[in-house]
Amino acid sequence: MTADLDDFRATVRLWCRAHVPADWRAAQTGASDEEFVAFQKAWFAELHRAGYAVPHWPAEWGGGMPVDRQIVLYSELAAHDAPRLVLAFVGIHHAASTLLVAGTDEQRRRHLPAILDGEIWVQGFSEPEAGSDLASLRTTARRVGDHFVVNGQKLWASGGLHADWCLLLARTDPDAPKRHGISYFLLDMTTPGIDVRPIRNAIGDSHFCEIFLNDVKIPADNLVGEENRGWQVAQATLGAERGMTMLELAERLGNAGFGWLVQACDRTGPDGYRPLDDAVVRDRLAQFEIEITGLRGLCRDVVAGSEAGTVGAADPSVVKLYYSELLQRMTDFGAEIGGLAAQTQLTKPASSGWESGSWMLDFIGSWEWTIPGGSSEIQRTIIAERGLGLPREPSAL
Amino acid sequence: MTDYQDLHDELRSVARDLLAKDNVDWPQLVQAGWVGLEAPEHCGGAGASFAEVAVVLDQIGRAAASTAYLGGAVLSVGALNALQPSDSRDGLLSDVVAGEVRAAVALPTDGSTTPRFRFDGTAVTGRAEFVPDAGVAEELLLLASGPRDQSVIVRVPAGAVEVQRQPVLDETRGLATVSADSVAVDGSAVWTIDTDSAAALLDRARLAVACDSLGLAEAMLDATVSYAGVREQFGRAIGSFQAVKHACADMLVAVTVGRRLVADAVEAVAAGAPGATTAVLMAKAHACGSAVDVVGEAMQLHGGIGYTWESGIHVYLKRAALNRSLFGSPAAQRKQLAERYENWRN
Repeated sequence: MTADLDDFRATVRLWCRAHVPADWRAAQTGASDEEFVAFQKAWFAELHRAGYAVPHWPAEWGGGMPVDRQIVLYSELAAHDAPRLVLAFVGIHHAASTLLVAGTDEQRRRHLPAILDGEIWVQGFSEPEAGSDLASLRTTARRVGDHFVVNGQKLWASGGLHADWCLLLARTDPDAPKRHGISYFLLDMTTPGIDVRPIRNAIGDSHFCEIFLNDVKIPADNLVGEENRGWQVAQATLGAERGMTMLELAERLGNAGFGWLVQACDRTGPDGYRPLDDAVVRDRLAQFEIEITGLRGLCRDVVAGSEAGTVGAADPSVVKLYYSELLQRMTDFGAEIGGLAAQTQLTKPASSGWESGSWMLDFIGSWEWTIPGGSSEIQRTIIAERGLGLPREPSAL
Repeated sequence: MTDYQDLHDELRSVARDLLAKDNVDWPQLVQAGWVGLEAPEHCGGAGASFAEVAVVLDQIGRAAASTAYLGGAVLSVGALNALQPSDSRDGLLSDVVAGEVRAAVALPTDGSTTPRFRFDGTAVTGRAEFVPDAGVAEELLLLASGPRDQSVIVRVPAGAVEVQRQPVLDETRGLATVSADSVAVDGSAVWTIDTDSAAALLDRARLAVACDSLGLAEAMLDATVSYAGVREQFGRAIGSFQAVKHACADMLVAVTVGRRLVADAVEAVAAGAPGATTAVLMAKAHACGSAVDVVGEAMQLHGGIGYTWESGIHVYLKRAALNRSLFGSPAAQRKQLAERYENWRN
């Protein structure tokens, strides 16, 4: 068993050495949108050819890799500083798990192979008035014959400009309690009435988008699960993929991320000061190494627990909270160590992880982890209520 | 690993029941088989590993129990196990396991790795402080530098050295200074121990304290969550307020990370893995550091009642703070970890 895993690790290592483009960071720094999209699609196709793009899918759809091999795969991709699948992310994780858990056979046949061929997905959940309180979303879907007519506005739809399809939550029963009047749809982004506008974020990127929906028609066949049960579908599928994706991010934080931080501390400045000679700096580094080691262990636990069905209700939230706040502290420290020189790095490579070595941009970008996907405050509430069983917040049903 | 899960669950449950009693004396620990857990079977032990000892240590921490288990069993049996088998070693080990002789080990307790005693070939001299459970020991095992700077374990009867109890704020631990001034020892009471094994003794000591701190933190998290669920103010359980709830969530995160790091270190130490020291340094720094924060937060969230003597939270806080310093502070562990950062490669 272990020898088998060692063989697999050796295979992945060889593959990484042969296929991870040596100069991708330089090429992706300051890349245009078209270059970014082309690169992402080419990298996805490369991984797919090797059988590494969707290892977590069921075997019948092109996955079926045992979990212990997936852990090895993601650890090695991180160790070899491979580009991340930024663009395909929602498709291979959220869309796929939604379809696998709640979709019809027809929906699976239509979309899962297409995702492998490069179909890009975006998540249309949040709205201007529905952030942390997602269930209060106002976008409406009115049934008219064999289709629904959608009106409203979605926000923070990452990758919206490049998406072919959208996972959409909309209110189908305005009179029901707010979590019981929402439906889950698959929306073709070429449908008339959709207007996508990028929003420039704090680091100057524009991958977050607003999606305006004006009398957009969705065939009733594109409903996922039952009408008015969309909230329950979203709850069942949202956290499903968090384990393995968090494991990959944790491995990246531990490999390249921590490595660059130590290297930055090892550089002697013009004034002859080498941060690594400073006891305070060494102490901070050691603290980060300890926390990263703990995080990596927790991610492996969540992955194994998901497989065995023993993962605790709050475990994914513990991992998300701990990762995002650790990322923030670590990039903050990188920016401090980087000093004025770090202020002059005006762009960071696209397709990279959340720690790219462009410390200032990484630091500012770290709020993209502590706010979306359930802010740190929401995660703490989930941990306390579902993990510790503390009394619930007053909230509408 | 799963093969041991049932065994660990049973051990944990038995330990919880035994430690729920007010006073657990040494014969009870001997009889429960905890003292000899790691000793080989031909010495009357169970031939188990540090993984099983860790289960007991965690429960002792949860109960903040006043026992001599750390010095009298974990460190003593560990030190004797690390020696080459011989009649003299096996004899003492069997006596310790049977509860006929009580022992303690004088290691450096301040985080340094230099032995506190020197053996010149005929006599041993030196002084160690804060030696766990030396005050109740009949035989002392002194880690010493030998005549050729090799490490040795020297066995001396308690009556031949000066053992003085050191009162500390934490009343649950028994610590003592051990002083020897040219105490003559004969050859049969001196065992050489290789450098790696001597270092491994310190790893065990640090990890044992980390297991204890993890148990303290777990117990205080449980107590705080229970209290916050029933204590009402402003007409609501205080645990329904975000400020309290989020503080509890942070406690759980700290405990969860600590438990993971401790489990990794226990596995490494039990297996004698090459990276064991690194794993132990991480576990000790995190578990012992965060336990003080978690217990401190427990006192805070219990409000006025938490500050009373009767609530007993101060017992946990004092023990957590003592654990943090015993066998080296978190800062000392991190300092040692950071020695690896020169020429760092991923």
